[in-house]
Amino acid sequence: MKQISIRQCGVIIVMCIFANKILLMPSLMYERTSADSIFVMLLLFLLDFVMLPIFIKLKSIYPDKKFYDILKERLGTFVTKVIYLLLLAFFFFKCLLVFSITYVYFKQQIYQDEFIFLALIAFLPVINCAVFNGLRAFSRTIEMFFWIVITGFVVCLAISLFTPISVPLFFMSSAKDFLYSMHNHIFAFGDFIFLFLVMDRIDFKKGSIKRLYCYALSGIFLVTLLFYLFYAKYQMTAFMHNNALADLLVFSVQFNAIGRLDIIAMLTIMFITLFQMEIFSFAFCDCFINIFPLNKTFAVVVFDILFCLLYYVFIGRYETMVMSSLFWLPYLAIFINYILPILMLVLIFIKTRRDKLEKKD
Amino acid sequence: MGKFNVKNKVEEVKKTLNESVDFSYRYFKRESQVIGFIFLKSIIDPQLFSSAIYFPIQSSDGELTIDLLKNDLIKCVDIKEVKEKDLVKEILDGRVILITNFSGKILSIDLLKFPTRAPTEPPTSPVIQGPREGFVEDMQTNVTLLRRRLKTPNLVMDVVRIGSQTQTKVVVTYLKDIANKKIVKEVKDKLSKIKVDGVLDSYNILFYLEKRPSSLFKQIGNTEKPDIVVSKMLEGKVAIIVDNSPIVLTVPFIFIEDLQNSNDYYTNHHYSSFVRVIRLLGLLIALIAPGFYLALQLFHYNILPLNFLITIADTTQGLPFTPFLEILFIFLLFQVLYEVSLRLPSYLGLATSVVGALILGDTGVKAGLISPPGVIIVALSKIALYTIPEEAPQITVLQLVFIVLGGSLGLIGVVSGLVYIINYLNDFDSYQTPYLAPYSPRVTQDLKDAIFIDPIYSQRYRPQSFSPQKKERV
Repeated sequence: MKQISIRQCGVIIVMCIFANKILLMPSLMYERTSADSIFVMLLLFLLDFVMLPIFIKLKSIYPDKKFYDILKERLGTFVTKVIYLLLLAFFFFKCLLVFSITYVYFKQQIYQDEFIFLALIAFLPVINCAVFNGLRAFSRTIEMFFWIVITGFVVCLAISLFTPISVPLFFMSSAKDFLYSMHNHIFAFGDFIFLFLVMDRIDFKKGSIKRLYCYALSGIFLVTLLFYLFYAKYQMTAFMHNNALADLLVFSVQFNAIGRLDIIAMLTIMFITLFQMEIFSFAFCDCFINIFPLNKTFAVVVFDILFCLLYYVFIGRYETMVMSSLFWLPYLAIFINYILPILMLVLIFIKTRRDKLEKKD
Repeated sequence: MGKFNVKNKVEEVKKTLNESVDFSYRYFKRESQVIGFIFLKSIIDPQLFSSAIYFPIQSSDGELTIDLLKNDLIKCVDIKEVKEKDLVKEILDGRVILITNFSGKILSIDLLKFPTRAPTEPPTSPVIQGPREGFVEDMQTNVTLLRRRLKTPNLVMDVVRIGSQTQTKVVVTYLKDIANKKIVKEVKDKLSKIKVDGVLDSYNILFYLEKRPSSLFKQIGNTEKPDIVVSKMLEGKVAIIVDNSPIVLTVPFIFIEDLQNSNDYYTNHHYSSFVRVIRLLGLLIALIAPGFYLALQLFHYNILPLNFLITIADTTQGLPFTPFLEILFIFLLFQVLYEVSLRLPSYLGLATSVVGALILGDTGVKAGLISPPGVIIVALSKIALYTIPEEAPQITVLQLVFIVLGGSLGLIGVVSGLVYIINYLNDFDSYQTPYLAPYSPRVTQDLKDAIFIDPIYSQRYRPQSFSPQKKERV
């Protein structure tokens, strides 16, 4: 079995944490909860974070077992397939959303003319190749570029400090807005669920758990810092700036004097988007193969067709797509992000109890 | 065991060897005793034959026995008894066959000698400091060069013969207490499966040893320097020496090896690290500079600093070609010049380079066919290519790919291409070793001799990427 190291697992987690949060989300959230969006985000991260110990416990109980097999053993084939179908939809829409948001950013920034086919030609072969090459190959790739991406990210944050910033105004939104915002943006979270899908392919060693937590916390810290600096820089106009990471570089007078530095954000976003799409498309294909007894090629073809079709439907209806992510996708996310982990927790409890009883006997 | 009719046997061998022009034989007669010597005069040492074999027998007294000949009279180091069926094979290997009418035993004496060149500094890897010896075409010399450096009983040299017609000797050599047994087995298995009529050089077997022979990327290491081979063997690698080839192959191969140079180990480690960073930068410039320039010029001109943009706009105004075609044209022009200068005699090659670089480039710009920035970018990438000459063939192809990607998809194309290539390279583990180690996957221990190099005393452990049996260098 081709396994991935805990470091590779960690870098995948960081990429998942960045997904859908570093471009559009800060401005979208600001509309409802202003600077309190940081707390909304932190609370959602906290809820996500609960998933990590559940995953670690599950991995320690079933070190080499596939997530699919665990579910099948406990819940039966039909229920497992339904859960996997929901997971398939979850990852597919995450991938689609990541692509759409980046697409709009690039269309605004660089490619003024029709860009959709160029974007698809550039992205789809790479993510298809990643799926074919497998988890180990693309996780190694992410690992290789990880520090380049993080450096790009941190440079973007650092450059924003060269413009006047002030502490954003907190505690301005009501509890209702707070909860509403939480519900709306829940789909962008659930970053640790990918680990469950590949749990049999992760090489867990002693002391590696701490490292996994470190990676997750670093990712969350960077996203929080991005939110804070973005709101501190744009204050009340934050909702007008749809590309948070790239917009942090704008108006940095000292640096603009030596040329446009947008390229740092552009390259960072390109790499992050590609890696996120690789992860989500892999997850889609993995779910697909488990649901239907078909091979990887078929899964990739289905992914490509669905992706192109749905994207074609949404061309020019970017807002519809984003709104979908805010209104009906959260229900899917609630199941994936919270109900599924609770279910896992129950399964762990039953298993532990049974083992204890067996030991007693 | 029956005795031989010497004359008949000689005639029989002569016929088997098609009465070859270099086929030779001599008889020695004393009373009823007859000794026959059969050999190929083109590949044995005739002086040694006279002084060490024929003369001692001639000057001896009394009855001759095969044991007397083997143990006392013949003054050669390598004498062995062979079976009748191996007789022709032994002759073809440059040995003298001795048959008698008083014994059924056949003696084979090593007198192999053919024109060889002395070990000189290989043109492909010159050094400023460090050993200058290089491998030659003669396998025996190459083996000697290795043996001189590895005075250990753990040095294993297994011989296999490949090629139904050439019967080329291929030596698989490794240190048995260090090299990973699985890798050794894999190499031997692959060699044993080779079915060809001839092996003329190590490159003839290279493709059989690769995991993906159709791949663009280099998967097997090669060098002409014995010190490099020995250092690789000490890391746990397996070397493959092919007779008649000065190039020795080493497996497993990882990409970082081409970034390393033997000079690095004979100079200050800070300087070596600096030079390796320059090489890496050179590789990146060579790979993506033309594609990146095209992407900026065609799609992302708004991120170029204004002064630079004005310069480009000024120089590209009125050009008959589109930027994409212009870069492609300059790229192909450079490649044609390179090929010409490579194949022509050196005096003509130099003249062609001057004509190409100065006349064509300069007049092309003055005639308004190509722009100076375009020429500079392509020239820069072509020069940077030779910071790592071993990677030049594959990078040249990839340059073209990145020109197409940058010209058609812009920066996204360049980034996608880069990720695609790294993804692809991450998928092949050649001989159980990740191709992009120690960076992908990260092997912390091996980073001591990667892009940055630590002083030799701190490299206490062998690279883990090659899974050696003995981890510590003691």
